[in-house]
Amino acid sequence: MAALAASAAAAPPAPVGIGIEGVHKSFGAVHALVDINIGVRAGEFLALIGPSGCGKTTLLKSIAGLIPIDSGRITVGERVVTGPGPECSVVFQDFALMPWATVQHNVEFGLLLRGVPAKERAETARRAIAKVGLGGSFEYAYPSQLSGGMQQRVGLARALAVNPQVLLMDEPFASIDEQTRRVFQDDLLRLWSAERKTVVLVTHSMEEAIYLSDRVVVLSPRPGRVHQVLDVPLPRPRESGDVRATADFARMVDGLWQVLRKLQ
Amino acid sequence: MTPAAKRDSDLGPTGLAAILGLLAVWEILGRLDVSLFLPPVSEVFVAWWGLIRDGTLFQAGASSLAALVKGYLLAAVLGVGVGLAMGRFAVVRYLLDGWINALMSAPLSALVPVLIALFGIRDTVVVATVFLFAFFVIAVNTLTGVRGTERSLVEMGRAFGAGEATLFRRIYLPSALPAVMLGLRLGVVQAVKGMVVGEMLISLVGLGERIISYGNTFLVTELYAVILSVLLVAIICSQLVQACERALVRWK
Repeated sequence: MAALAASAAAAPPAPVGIGIEGVHKSFGAVHALVDINIGVRAGEFLALIGPSGCGKTTLLKSIAGLIPIDSGRITVGERVVTGPGPECSVVFQDFALMPWATVQHNVEFGLLLRGVPAKERAETARRAIAKVGLGGSFEYAYPSQLSGGMQQRVGLARALAVNPQVLLMDEPFASIDEQTRRVFQDDLLRLWSAERKTVVLVTHSMEEAIYLSDRVVVLSPRPGRVHQVLDVPLPRPRESGDVRATADFARMVDGLWQVLRKLQ
Repeated sequence: MTPAAKRDSDLGPTGLAAILGLLAVWEILGRLDVSLFLPPVSEVFVAWWGLIRDGTLFQAGASSLAALVKGYLLAAVLGVGVGLAMGRFAVVRYLLDGWINALMSAPLSALVPVLIALFGIRDTVVVATVFLFAFFVIAVNTLTGVRGTERSLVEMGRAFGAGEATLFRRIYLPSALPAVMLGLRLGVVQAVKGMVVGEMLISLVGLGERIISYGNTFLVTELYAVILSVLLVAIICSQLVQACERALVRWK
Protein backbone atom coordinates (compact mmCIF):
# COMPACT_ATOMS: atom_id res chain seq x y z
CA MET A 1 0.00 0.00 0.00
CA ALA A 2 2.70 2.48 0.98
CA ALA A 3 4.59 1.93 -2.25
CA LEU A 4 1.45 2.48 -4.29
CA ALA A 5 0.59 5.63 -2.39
CA ALA A 6 4.05 7.01 -2.99
CA SER A 7 3.98 6.24 -6.72
CA ALA A 8 0.58 7.89 -7.08
CA ALA A 9 1.96 11.13 -5.72
CA ALA A 10 5.22 11.09 -7.69
CA ALA A 11 5.89 12.79 -11.03
CA PRO A 12 4.40 11.08 -14.10
CA PRO A 13 6.15 7.71 -14.42
CA ALA A 14 7.57 6.75 -17.79
CA PRO A 15 4.90 5.22 -20.01
CA VAL A 16 4.95 1.47 -20.57
CA GLY A 17 4.05 -0.63 -23.56
CA ILE A 18 1.38 -3.32 -23.78
CA GLY A 19 1.96 -6.73 -25.29
CA ILE A 20 -0.96 -8.80 -26.56
CA GLU A 21 0.24 -12.21 -27.73
CA GLY A 22 -1.94 -14.97 -29.14
CA VAL A 23 -4.97 -14.00 -27.08
CA HIS A 24 -8.10 -16.11 -27.33
CA LYS A 25 -11.36 -15.54 -25.53
CA SER A 26 -14.68 -17.31 -25.94
CA PHE A 27 -18.03 -16.73 -24.27
CA GLY A 28 -19.63 -20.14 -24.49
CA ALA A 29 -19.73 -20.99 -28.19
CA VAL A 30 -19.03 -17.40 -29.26
CA HIS A 31 -15.42 -16.72 -30.21
CA ALA A 32 -15.01 -13.14 -29.04
CA LEU A 33 -11.27 -12.95 -29.67
CA VAL A 34 -9.18 -15.27 -31.83
CA ASP A 35 -5.38 -15.14 -31.90
CA ILE A 36 -5.01 -11.43 -31.20
CA ASN A 37 -1.46 -10.10 -31.49
CA ILE A 38 -0.87 -6.40 -30.94
CA GLY A 39 2.08 -4.53 -29.52
CA VAL A 40 1.24 -1.13 -28.12
CA ARG A 41 4.32 1.06 -27.83
CA ALA A 42 5.05 3.02 -24.69
CA GLY A 43 3.38 6.41 -24.95
CA GLU A 44 1.42 5.44 -28.04
CA PHE A 45 -2.19 6.47 -28.70
CA LEU A 46 -3.85 3.41 -30.17
CA ALA A 47 -7.45 3.10 -31.33
CA LEU A 48 -9.44 -0.13 -31.57
CA ILE A 49 -12.26 0.02 -34.08
CA GLY A 50 -14.56 -2.49 -35.72
CA PRO A 51 -18.20 -3.42 -36.23
CA SER A 52 -20.18 -4.29 -33.11
CA GLY A 53 -19.43 -7.81 -32.00
CA CYS A 54 -15.76 -7.60 -32.98
CA GLY A 55 -14.66 -7.91 -29.37
CA LYS A 56 -13.00 -4.51 -29.04
CA THR A 57 -14.45 -3.84 -25.59
CA THR A 58 -13.66 -7.42 -24.53
CA LEU A 59 -10.06 -6.85 -25.57
CA LEU A 60 -9.86 -3.56 -23.66
CA LYS A 61 -11.30 -5.13 -20.52
CA SER A 62 -8.89 -8.04 -20.86
CA ILE A 63 -6.00 -5.56 -20.86
CA ALA A 64 -7.55 -3.97 -17.76
CA GLY A 65 -7.59 -7.39 -16.12
CA LEU A 66 -11.37 -7.28 -15.77
CA ILE A 67 -12.05 -10.18 -18.13
CA PRO A 68 -9.84 -13.29 -17.88
CA ILE A 69 -8.56 -14.56 -21.24
CA ASP A 70 -8.69 -18.23 -22.26
CA SER A 71 -5.17 -18.45 -23.67
CA GLY A 72 -2.30 -16.27 -24.79
CA ARG A 73 -0.63 -13.55 -22.80
CA ILE A 74 -1.16 -9.88 -22.08
CA THR A 75 1.61 -7.82 -20.54
CA VAL A 76 1.49 -4.26 -19.29
CA GLY A 77 5.09 -3.12 -18.93
CA GLU A 78 6.79 -6.00 -17.13
CA ARG A 79 3.61 -7.32 -15.53
CA VAL A 80 1.71 -10.26 -16.99
CA VAL A 81 -1.96 -9.37 -16.62
CA THR A 82 -3.89 -11.75 -14.38
CA GLY A 83 -6.14 -9.12 -12.83
CA PRO A 84 -6.45 -5.36 -12.45
CA GLY A 85 -3.13 -3.62 -11.85
CA PRO A 86 -1.99 -0.21 -10.63
CA GLU A 87 -0.52 0.89 -14.02
CA CYS A 88 -3.91 0.97 -15.72
CA SER A 89 -6.88 3.26 -15.34
CA VAL A 90 -10.16 2.64 -17.13
CA VAL A 91 -12.54 5.28 -18.49
CA PHE A 92 -15.99 3.78 -18.97
CA GLN A 93 -18.53 4.37 -21.70
CA ASP A 94 -21.31 5.08 -19.18
CA PHE A 95 -18.91 7.08 -16.95
CA ALA A 96 -19.43 4.67 -14.00
CA LEU A 97 -19.66 7.50 -11.50
CA MET A 98 -21.00 6.74 -8.05
CA PRO A 99 -24.25 8.74 -7.84
CA TRP A 100 -24.03 8.94 -4.05
CA ALA A 101 -20.62 10.60 -4.05
CA THR A 102 -19.67 14.16 -4.94
CA VAL A 103 -17.32 14.88 -7.83
CA GLN A 104 -14.50 15.25 -5.32
CA HIS A 105 -15.20 11.87 -3.72
CA ASN A 106 -15.63 10.15 -7.06
CA VAL A 107 -12.25 11.39 -8.19
CA GLU A 108 -10.69 10.39 -4.87
CA PHE A 109 -12.04 6.85 -5.16
CA GLY A 110 -9.03 5.20 -6.78
CA LEU A 111 -6.70 6.93 -4.33
CA LEU A 112 -8.88 5.82 -1.43
CA LEU A 113 -8.71 2.19 -2.54
CA ARG A 114 -4.94 2.48 -2.79
CA GLY A 115 -4.63 3.71 0.77
CA VAL A 116 -3.59 7.30 0.07
CA PRO A 117 -4.08 9.42 3.23
CA ALA A 118 -7.10 11.76 3.25
CA LYS A 119 -5.28 15.07 2.92
CA GLU A 120 -3.08 14.00 0.03
CA ARG A 121 -6.08 12.31 -1.57
CA ALA A 122 -8.07 15.53 -1.48
CA GLU A 123 -5.24 17.57 -2.97
CA THR A 124 -4.43 15.08 -5.72
CA ALA A 125 -8.10 14.80 -6.65
CA ARG A 126 -8.47 18.58 -6.74
CA ARG A 127 -5.52 18.84 -9.11
CA ALA A 128 -6.99 16.13 -11.36
CA ILE A 129 -10.36 17.91 -11.41
CA ALA A 130 -8.64 21.14 -12.42
CA LYS A 131 -6.67 19.27 -15.08
CA VAL A 132 -9.84 18.15 -16.87
CA GLY A 133 -11.27 21.66 -16.72
CA LEU A 134 -13.78 21.30 -13.87
CA GLY A 135 -11.76 22.98 -11.14
CA GLY A 136 -13.08 25.52 -8.70
CA SER A 137 -16.83 25.04 -8.77
CA PHE A 138 -17.82 21.44 -9.33
CA GLU A 139 -16.04 19.57 -6.52
CA TYR A 140 -19.13 19.40 -4.33
CA ALA A 141 -21.65 18.72 -7.09
CA TYR A 142 -23.21 15.29 -7.46
CA PRO A 143 -22.87 13.54 -10.83
CA SER A 144 -26.62 13.86 -11.51
CA GLN A 145 -26.19 17.64 -11.48
CA LEU A 146 -23.67 17.53 -14.34
CA SER A 147 -24.09 17.17 -18.10
CA GLY A 148 -22.86 14.00 -19.83
CA GLY A 149 -19.71 15.69 -21.05
CA MET A 150 -18.88 16.98 -17.60
CA GLN A 151 -19.59 13.57 -16.06
CA GLN A 152 -17.09 11.99 -18.40
CA ARG A 153 -14.58 14.66 -17.47
CA VAL A 154 -15.04 13.48 -13.88
CA GLY A 155 -14.48 9.91 -15.12
CA LEU A 156 -11.26 11.02 -16.78
CA ALA A 157 -10.14 12.95 -13.70
CA ARG A 158 -10.70 9.85 -11.58
CA ALA A 159 -8.63 7.80 -14.00
CA LEU A 160 -5.83 10.38 -14.03
CA ALA A 161 -5.83 10.93 -10.25
CA VAL A 162 -4.00 7.64 -9.62
CA ASN A 163 -1.34 8.73 -12.11
CA PRO A 164 -1.52 5.63 -14.31
CA GLN A 165 0.93 4.77 -17.07
CA VAL A 166 -1.82 3.34 -19.22
CA LEU A 167 -5.22 4.85 -19.93
CA LEU A 168 -7.83 2.39 -21.20
CA MET A 169 -10.84 4.19 -22.67
CA ASP A 170 -14.00 2.30 -23.62
CA GLU A 171 -15.97 4.46 -26.08
CA PRO A 172 -15.60 7.41 -23.72
CA PHE A 173 -17.29 9.92 -26.04
CA ALA A 174 -20.06 7.68 -27.35
CA SER A 175 -22.83 9.25 -25.28
CA ILE A 176 -21.65 12.85 -25.53
CA ASP A 177 -22.99 15.33 -28.08
CA GLU A 178 -20.85 16.28 -31.07
CA GLN A 179 -19.76 19.81 -30.08
CA THR A 180 -18.88 18.79 -26.54
CA ARG A 181 -17.08 15.76 -27.90
CA ARG A 182 -14.79 17.81 -30.16
CA VAL A 183 -13.73 20.12 -27.34
CA PHE A 184 -13.21 17.12 -25.08
CA GLN A 185 -11.12 15.32 -27.71
CA ASP A 186 -8.81 18.32 -27.99
CA ASP A 187 -8.51 18.51 -24.21
CA LEU A 188 -7.69 14.82 -24.13
CA LEU A 189 -4.93 15.27 -26.74
CA ARG A 190 -3.51 18.19 -24.78
CA LEU A 191 -3.47 16.12 -21.57
CA TRP A 192 -1.95 13.19 -23.41
CA SER A 193 0.90 15.23 -24.85
CA ALA A 194 1.57 16.79 -21.43
CA GLU A 195 1.56 13.49 -19.54
CA ARG A 196 2.72 10.99 -22.20
CA LYS A 197 0.59 8.06 -21.19
CA THR A 198 -0.04 4.99 -23.26
CA VAL A 199 -3.66 5.19 -24.40
CA VAL A 200 -5.85 2.44 -25.81
CA LEU A 201 -9.15 3.83 -27.05
CA VAL A 202 -12.12 1.77 -28.14
CA THR A 203 -14.32 3.72 -30.52
CA HIS A 204 -16.84 3.24 -33.30
CA SER A 205 -16.15 6.67 -34.79
CA MET A 206 -13.74 6.65 -37.73
CA GLU A 207 -13.09 10.41 -37.46
CA GLU A 208 -12.33 10.03 -33.77
CA ALA A 209 -9.93 7.12 -34.36
CA ILE A 210 -8.02 9.03 -37.05
CA TYR A 211 -8.05 12.36 -35.24
CA LEU A 212 -6.74 11.04 -31.95
CA SER A 213 -4.49 8.09 -32.55
CA ASP A 214 -1.07 7.09 -33.86
CA ARG A 215 -2.34 3.76 -35.12
CA VAL A 216 -5.77 2.28 -35.69
CA VAL A 217 -6.34 -1.44 -35.21
CA VAL A 218 -9.33 -2.70 -37.20
CA LEU A 219 -10.95 -5.78 -35.69
CA SER A 220 -13.27 -8.04 -37.69
CA PRO A 221 -16.37 -9.52 -36.05
CA ARG A 222 -17.38 -13.10 -35.21
CA PRO A 223 -14.77 -14.25 -34.55
CA GLY A 224 -12.91 -11.15 -33.40
CA ARG A 225 -9.56 -10.99 -35.21
CA VAL A 226 -7.10 -8.27 -36.06
CA HIS A 227 -8.11 -7.41 -39.62
CA GLN A 228 -5.68 -4.62 -40.36
CA VAL A 229 -3.48 -2.06 -38.63
CA LEU A 230 -3.36 1.44 -40.08
CA ASP A 231 -0.74 4.07 -39.33
CA VAL A 232 -1.96 7.62 -38.87
CA PRO A 233 0.97 9.82 -39.92
CA LEU A 234 -0.89 13.10 -39.40
CA PRO A 235 1.40 15.66 -37.74
CA ARG A 236 1.01 16.56 -34.08
CA PRO A 237 -0.07 18.56 -32.20
CA ARG A 238 -3.41 18.11 -33.92
CA GLU A 239 -5.53 19.80 -31.26
CA SER A 240 -4.47 23.37 -31.99
CA GLY A 241 -4.70 23.26 -35.78
CA ASP A 242 -7.41 22.41 -38.27
CA VAL A 243 -6.40 18.86 -39.01
CA ARG A 244 -10.00 17.87 -39.67
CA ALA A 245 -10.10 20.30 -42.62
CA THR A 246 -7.05 18.83 -44.36
CA ALA A 247 -7.15 16.55 -47.39
CA ASP A 248 -4.88 14.07 -45.58
CA PHE A 249 -7.40 13.71 -42.79
CA ALA A 250 -10.28 13.16 -45.21
CA ARG A 251 -8.22 10.63 -47.16
CA MET A 252 -7.34 8.69 -43.99
CA VAL A 253 -10.92 8.59 -42.77
CA ASP A 254 -12.02 7.41 -46.18
CA GLY A 255 -9.26 4.80 -46.21
CA LEU A 256 -10.49 3.50 -42.88
CA TRP A 257 -14.05 3.44 -44.19
CA GLN A 258 -12.96 1.41 -47.23
CA VAL A 259 -11.54 -1.16 -44.82
CA LEU A 260 -14.55 -1.14 -42.49
CA ARG A 261 -17.28 -1.25 -45.14
CA LYS A 262 -16.05 -4.66 -46.32
CA LEU A 263 -16.50 -5.94 -42.75
CA GLN A 264 -20.16 -4.91 -42.43
CA MET B 1 -36.39 7.47 -7.88
CA THR B 2 -37.29 10.72 -9.55
CA PRO B 3 -37.56 13.91 -7.52
CA ALA B 4 -41.33 13.73 -8.00
CA ALA B 5 -41.42 10.28 -6.45
CA LYS B 6 -39.37 11.50 -3.52
CA ARG B 7 -41.95 14.12 -2.70
CA ASP B 8 -44.90 11.79 -3.19
CA SER B 9 -46.02 11.84 0.41
CA ASP B 10 -45.47 15.54 0.94
CA LEU B 11 -48.66 17.36 1.69
CA GLY B 12 -48.99 20.14 -0.86
CA PRO B 13 -51.84 22.68 -1.00
CA THR B 14 -53.82 20.32 -3.24
CA GLY B 15 -53.39 17.43 -0.84
CA LEU B 16 -54.46 19.58 2.08
CA ALA B 17 -57.53 20.76 0.16
CA ALA B 18 -58.43 17.14 -0.63
CA ILE B 19 -58.27 16.16 3.04
CA LEU B 20 -60.29 19.17 4.20
CA GLY B 21 -62.83 18.51 1.44
CA LEU B 22 -63.20 14.90 2.51
CA LEU B 23 -63.69 15.94 6.14
CA ALA B 24 -66.35 18.46 5.03
CA VAL B 25 -68.25 15.82 3.04
CA TRP B 26 -67.99 13.45 6.00
CA GLU B 27 -69.40 16.12 8.33
CA ILE B 28 -72.32 16.90 5.98
CA LEU B 29 -73.20 13.23 5.45
CA GLY B 30 -72.95 12.69 9.20
CA ARG B 31 -75.35 15.53 9.92
CA LEU B 32 -77.78 14.19 7.28
CA ASP B 33 -77.94 11.05 9.44
CA VAL B 34 -77.21 8.70 6.53
CA SER B 35 -76.17 5.80 8.74
CA LEU B 36 -75.48 4.90 12.34
CA PHE B 37 -71.94 4.09 11.23
CA LEU B 38 -71.34 7.56 9.83
CA PRO B 39 -71.43 10.03 12.72
CA PRO B 40 -70.41 13.65 11.99
CA VAL B 41 -66.65 13.99 12.04
CA SER B 42 -66.89 16.75 14.64
CA GLU B 43 -68.37 14.25 17.09
CA VAL B 44 -65.52 11.86 16.31
CA PHE B 45 -63.06 14.56 17.28
CA VAL B 46 -64.98 15.21 20.52
CA ALA B 47 -64.82 11.47 21.31
CA TRP B 48 -61.13 11.48 20.41
CA TRP B 49 -60.48 14.29 22.87
CA GLY B 50 -62.39 12.34 25.51
CA LEU B 51 -60.26 9.24 24.94
CA ILE B 52 -57.14 11.34 25.22
CA ARG B 53 -58.32 13.02 28.45
CA ASP B 54 -59.34 9.86 30.27
CA GLY B 55 -56.04 8.18 29.33
CA THR B 56 -57.60 5.32 27.35
CA LEU B 57 -55.75 6.20 24.19
CA PHE B 58 -52.37 6.52 25.90
CA GLN B 59 -52.75 3.27 27.76
CA ALA B 60 -53.78 1.32 24.68
CA GLY B 61 -51.37 3.27 22.49
CA ALA B 62 -48.37 2.61 24.73
CA SER B 63 -48.88 -1.13 24.55
CA SER B 64 -49.38 -0.96 20.78
CA LEU B 65 -46.36 1.26 20.15
CA ALA B 66 -44.09 -0.93 22.28
CA ALA B 67 -44.98 -3.96 20.17
CA LEU B 68 -44.71 -1.91 16.99
CA VAL B 69 -41.23 -0.62 17.78
CA LYS B 70 -39.90 -4.01 18.89
CA GLY B 71 -41.34 -5.88 15.92
CA TYR B 72 -40.31 -3.26 13.39
CA LEU B 73 -36.74 -2.92 14.63
CA LEU B 74 -36.37 -6.68 14.54
CA ALA B 75 -37.79 -6.76 11.01
CA ALA B 76 -35.54 -3.89 9.92
CA VAL B 77 -32.34 -5.47 11.23
CA LEU B 78 -33.10 -9.00 10.03
CA GLY B 79 -34.77 -7.85 6.80
CA VAL B 80 -31.84 -5.71 5.74
CA GLY B 81 -29.39 -8.41 6.88
CA VAL B 82 -31.13 -11.22 5.02
CA GLY B 83 -31.64 -9.01 1.95
CA LEU B 84 -27.94 -8.08 1.82
CA ALA B 85 -26.87 -11.70 2.29
CA MET B 86 -29.25 -12.83 -0.45
CA GLY B 87 -28.02 -10.07 -2.72
CA ARG B 88 -24.35 -10.93 -2.34
CA PHE B 89 -24.33 -14.71 -1.91
CA ALA B 90 -26.02 -16.81 -4.56
CA VAL B 91 -26.24 -19.75 -2.15
CA VAL B 92 -28.28 -17.75 0.34
CA ARG B 93 -30.44 -16.46 -2.50
CA TYR B 94 -31.19 -19.95 -3.82
CA LEU B 95 -31.95 -21.16 -0.30
CA LEU B 96 -34.33 -18.38 0.67
CA ASP B 97 -35.82 -17.02 -2.56
CA GLY B 98 -38.69 -19.52 -2.73
CA TRP B 99 -39.58 -19.10 0.92
CA ILE B 100 -39.50 -15.32 0.82
CA ASN B 101 -41.61 -15.14 -2.31
CA ALA B 102 -44.13 -17.66 -1.02
CA LEU B 103 -44.50 -15.99 2.37
CA MET B 104 -44.54 -12.53 0.86
CA SER B 105 -47.57 -13.30 -1.29
CA ALA B 106 -49.29 -15.45 1.33
CA PRO B 107 -52.12 -13.82 3.28
CA LEU B 108 -50.30 -13.50 6.59
CA SER B 109 -53.54 -13.42 8.57
CA ALA B 110 -53.85 -17.09 7.64
CA LEU B 111 -50.85 -17.70 9.88
CA VAL B 112 -52.80 -16.55 12.93
CA PRO B 113 -53.49 -20.08 14.27
CA VAL B 114 -49.83 -20.97 13.83
CA LEU B 115 -48.76 -17.84 15.70
CA ILE B 116 -51.17 -18.60 18.52
CA ALA B 117 -49.67 -22.07 18.78
CA LEU B 118 -46.15 -20.63 18.79
CA PHE B 119 -46.51 -17.59 21.00
CA GLY B 120 -49.78 -18.11 22.82
CA ILE B 121 -51.95 -15.01 23.08
CA ARG B 122 -49.47 -12.94 25.05
CA ASP B 123 -48.20 -9.53 23.97
CA THR B 124 -45.27 -11.11 22.18
CA VAL B 125 -47.56 -12.41 19.49
CA VAL B 126 -48.18 -8.80 18.41
CA VAL B 127 -44.43 -8.31 18.08
CA ALA B 128 -44.43 -11.44 15.92
CA THR B 129 -47.22 -10.20 13.62
CA VAL B 130 -45.56 -6.79 13.29
CA PHE B 131 -42.32 -8.55 12.38
CA LEU B 132 -43.96 -10.85 9.84
CA PHE B 133 -45.82 -8.05 8.12
CA ALA B 134 -42.75 -5.81 7.83
CA PHE B 135 -39.92 -8.30 7.29
CA PHE B 136 -40.57 -9.45 3.72
CA VAL B 137 -40.97 -6.10 2.04
CA ILE B 138 -37.76 -4.89 3.73
CA ALA B 139 -35.80 -8.01 2.77
CA VAL B 140 -37.06 -8.05 -0.82
CA ASN B 141 -36.36 -4.34 -1.36
CA THR B 142 -32.86 -4.70 0.06
CA LEU B 143 -32.25 -7.70 -2.21
CA THR B 144 -33.53 -5.73 -5.21
CA GLY B 145 -31.26 -2.83 -4.30
CA VAL B 146 -28.14 -4.97 -4.07
CA ARG B 147 -29.00 -6.82 -7.29
CA GLY B 148 -29.66 -3.53 -9.04
CA THR B 149 -26.11 -2.29 -8.53
CA GLU B 150 -24.73 -1.01 -11.85
CA ARG B 151 -22.34 -3.53 -13.36
CA SER B 152 -20.05 -0.78 -14.57
CA LEU B 153 -19.68 0.53 -11.00
CA VAL B 154 -18.59 -2.92 -9.86
CA GLU B 155 -16.15 -3.09 -12.77
CA MET B 156 -14.86 0.37 -11.92
CA GLY B 157 -14.22 -0.72 -8.33
CA ARG B 158 -12.48 -3.89 -9.46
CA ALA B 159 -10.38 -1.91 -11.95
CA PHE B 160 -9.07 0.13 -9.02
CA GLY B 161 -8.18 -3.09 -7.22
CA ALA B 162 -11.15 -3.48 -4.87
CA GLY B 163 -11.67 -6.95 -3.36
CA GLU B 164 -15.05 -8.43 -2.48
CA ALA B 165 -15.26 -6.84 0.98
CA THR B 166 -14.36 -3.39 -0.35
CA LEU B 167 -16.79 -3.73 -3.26
CA PHE B 168 -19.53 -4.63 -0.82
CA ARG B 169 -18.86 -1.71 1.47
CA ARG B 170 -18.03 0.95 -1.13
CA ILE B 171 -20.23 -0.03 -4.09
CA TYR B 172 -23.02 -2.49 -3.30
CA LEU B 173 -24.05 -1.01 0.04
CA PRO B 174 -24.37 2.66 -0.96
CA SER B 175 -25.88 1.60 -4.26
CA ALA B 176 -28.60 -0.37 -2.46
CA LEU B 177 -29.29 2.34 0.12
CA PRO B 178 -32.20 4.07 -1.68
CA ALA B 179 -33.97 0.74 -2.19
CA VAL B 180 -33.26 -0.26 1.42
CA MET B 181 -34.76 2.99 2.68
CA LEU B 182 -37.80 2.52 0.44
CA GLY B 183 -38.21 -0.96 1.90
CA LEU B 184 -37.98 0.42 5.42
CA ARG B 185 -40.62 3.02 4.61
CA LEU B 186 -43.01 0.49 3.05
CA GLY B 187 -42.14 -1.84 5.93
CA VAL B 188 -43.21 0.56 8.64
CA VAL B 189 -46.67 0.90 7.11
CA GLN B 190 -46.89 -2.89 6.92
CA ALA B 191 -45.76 -3.01 10.55
CA VAL B 192 -48.72 -0.88 11.64
CA LYS B 193 -51.03 -3.26 9.75
CA GLY B 194 -49.37 -6.19 11.49
CA MET B 195 -49.85 -4.49 14.84
CA VAL B 196 -53.58 -4.02 14.33
CA VAL B 197 -54.07 -7.54 12.93
CA GLY B 198 -52.19 -9.05 15.87
CA GLU B 199 -54.11 -7.04 18.41
CA MET B 200 -57.52 -7.59 16.84
CA LEU B 201 -57.31 -11.21 15.76
CA ILE B 202 -55.13 -12.77 18.43
CA SER B 203 -54.17 -11.01 21.53
CA LEU B 204 -56.87 -8.40 22.17
CA VAL B 205 -54.59 -5.73 23.57
CA GLY B 206 -53.76 -2.15 22.71
CA LEU B 207 -55.49 -0.10 20.03
CA GLY B 208 -56.71 -3.24 18.22
CA GLU B 209 -58.54 -4.37 21.33
CA ARG B 210 -60.20 -0.93 21.56
CA ILE B 211 -61.36 -1.20 17.94
CA ILE B 212 -62.98 -4.59 18.60
CA SER B 213 -64.51 -3.42 21.85
CA TYR B 214 -65.98 -0.18 20.50
CA GLY B 215 -67.14 -1.98 17.36
CA ASN B 216 -68.98 -4.63 19.37
CA THR B 217 -70.68 -2.08 21.59
CA PHE B 218 -71.59 0.33 18.77
CA LEU B 219 -69.59 3.21 20.25
CA VAL B 220 -69.09 4.42 16.72
CA THR B 221 -67.52 7.82 17.43
CA GLU B 222 -64.92 6.21 19.73
CA LEU B 223 -64.36 3.50 17.12
CA TYR B 224 -63.52 6.12 14.50
CA ALA B 225 -61.32 7.99 16.96
CA VAL B 226 -59.20 4.89 17.49
CA ILE B 227 -59.08 4.11 13.77
CA LEU B 228 -57.90 7.67 13.10
CA SER B 229 -55.28 7.24 15.83
CA VAL B 230 -53.95 4.13 14.10
CA LEU B 231 -53.88 6.05 10.82
CA LEU B 232 -51.97 8.85 12.51
CA VAL B 233 -49.43 6.38 13.91
CA ALA B 234 -48.90 4.98 10.42
CA ILE B 235 -48.44 8.43 8.90
CA ILE B 236 -46.05 9.62 11.61
CA CYS B 237 -43.95 6.45 11.41
CA SER B 238 -43.79 6.69 7.64
CA GLN B 239 -42.74 10.35 7.83
CA LEU B 240 -40.04 9.54 10.39
CA VAL B 241 -38.55 6.88 8.14
CA GLN B 242 -38.79 9.23 5.20
CA ALA B 243 -36.91 11.90 7.13
CA CYS B 244 -34.12 9.36 7.72
CA GLU B 245 -34.25 8.48 4.03
CA ARG B 246 -33.77 12.10 3.02
CA ALA B 247 -30.91 12.57 5.44
CA LEU B 248 -29.14 9.46 4.13
CA VAL B 249 -29.98 9.64 0.42
CA ARG B 250 -29.01 13.20 -0.30
CA TRP B 251 -27.88 12.71 -3.87
CA LYS B 252 -31.30 12.07 -5.42
